[in-house]
Amino acid sequence: MDGAFRSAADSDLVARAAAGDASAFHALVERHRAMVYRVAYQFAGNHHDAEDIAQDVFIKVYRSLNRFRYDAQLTSWLYRIVMNACIDHRRRHAPAGWAPFTEDAELRMLNTPEESPGPEDAAYGTEVGEVLEAEIARLPPGQRLVFTMRHHEGLKLCEIAEALGLAEGTVKRQLHAAVHRLRAALSASRVTVGGRA
Amino acid sequence: MSGCGFLDAGTIELCFYGELEPAAAERVDAHVRACAVCQRHLEDLRAIRTALASRPRVDGPARGDWTSFTRRLDTAIASPATSQRMRTVVPWLAIAATLTVVTTGVLVTTRVHHEQPSAAREESSMPASLAAAEPPTVPQTAASAIAPDTAVVRDANRSLVQHSEEHFERSKLVVLGLATLDPQQARAGDWQHERQLAGSLLPDTRLYRLAAEQRGMTNLARVLGDLETVLLETSMADHPDAEALERVQRLIARRDLVVKMNVVGSGI
Repeated sequence: MDGAFRSAADSDLVARAAAGDASAFHALVERHRAMVYRVAYQFAGNHHDAEDIAQDVFIKVYRSLNRFRYDAQLTSWLYRIVMNACIDHRRRHAPAGWAPFTEDAELRMLNTPEESPGPEDAAYGTEVGEVLEAEIARLPPGQRLVFTMRHHEGLKLCEIAEALGLAEGTVKRQLHAAVHRLRAALSASRVTVGGRA
Repeated sequence: MSGCGFLDAGTIELCFYGELEPAAAERVDAHVRACAVCQRHLEDLRAIRTALASRPRVDGPARGDWTSFTRRLDTAIASPATSQRMRTVVPWLAIAATLTVVTTGVLVTTRVHHEQPSAAREESSMPASLAAAEPPTVPQTAASAIAPDTAVVRDANRSLVQHSEEHFERSKLVVLGLATLDPQQARAGDWQHERQLAGSLLPDTRLYRLAAEQRGMTNLARVLGDLETVLLETSMADHPDAEALERVQRLIARRDLVVKMNVVGSGI
């Protein structure tokens, strides 16, 4: 990132980018691309689609720079654009309705995990993790986004509600439903989550 | 439904995520100690967290190489279609600037015309360069720039689509919220917010739909009409039970509303 922009506020970068400063826009992209990509990957389950979604997000951001409300958080705005890009992507790939994703996750990169479970937990977790990831991919888009933003982005429910423009109760319900489905899927696949101790 | 109020209300999850006030968290802790169902749910949540933590965290392209991503984005942004979107404000600025020039020109011309005698009297004391200058007139280019109404109409249409797109974004969240509810499990309170929001979105939806109809923007008007129907049905649900929710969901599905809203929104 350009050193001149390293300490610049998001709103300053948006203002400069909207005025035609390409390097300010690049700085914005560089600052937020990991978050955008992470959510996109969690939603899509593979690099190819995640990159498409992330591209859509930043093109949309570029087109909408002059519509950014400066009293709003850029990340909230971005989450909303990511959500719409995910839904748009979903529409393009499943025009007949909201059928579950059937495409398996592509190459999984061995990046650093969010937490560092012990070896036994890791081995167990990897197995269950695969089941969970497959089920997450089958969640309805709304539930999947809320679950991803809660578990992977660590956002509070009120922050998710603000970002998605939903009532907190709706977000809570979506999350509850997502967890309910994940638990049911784990039971159905005979992976006894509670019986591992 | 589990039969446990804490669990069914999602309070156990809030406690797990550390989002309860200390006093409320203590109450839930005390409950969990005596509730096997909630204990099991918490164990599952911990297992889910552990399992997900074991999965790779993917926050960038393979090998962390953003080069091709950046190149692709730069190309997309440099394309005329994208740049054109960025310049949507320019025609308005051009029109505003043109109007300013025209208005100023007309005012100055009028004033010069009225003050001609005194101006003539002062002519001798004016610098030669100013005295020789032509009186201000309406610039030909400015006049011709605002003459074609089609440009103004086109910009107005674009503005309507843009506003509709934003309106769809707001409404989409309501529609999605309704579409993803399970009618068999949802209670009236679960979609009360959507019903209220539907009522508040209705007037704007109607306004945009009428504007689109007047402008002959048939596709946009049709999708807005579909949205209006769904919002109306939602807000007018006197008995917000499973049957009413299913009816709304059928309306959304039959009209393929989520897809249409996306198509119209992304088709600007």
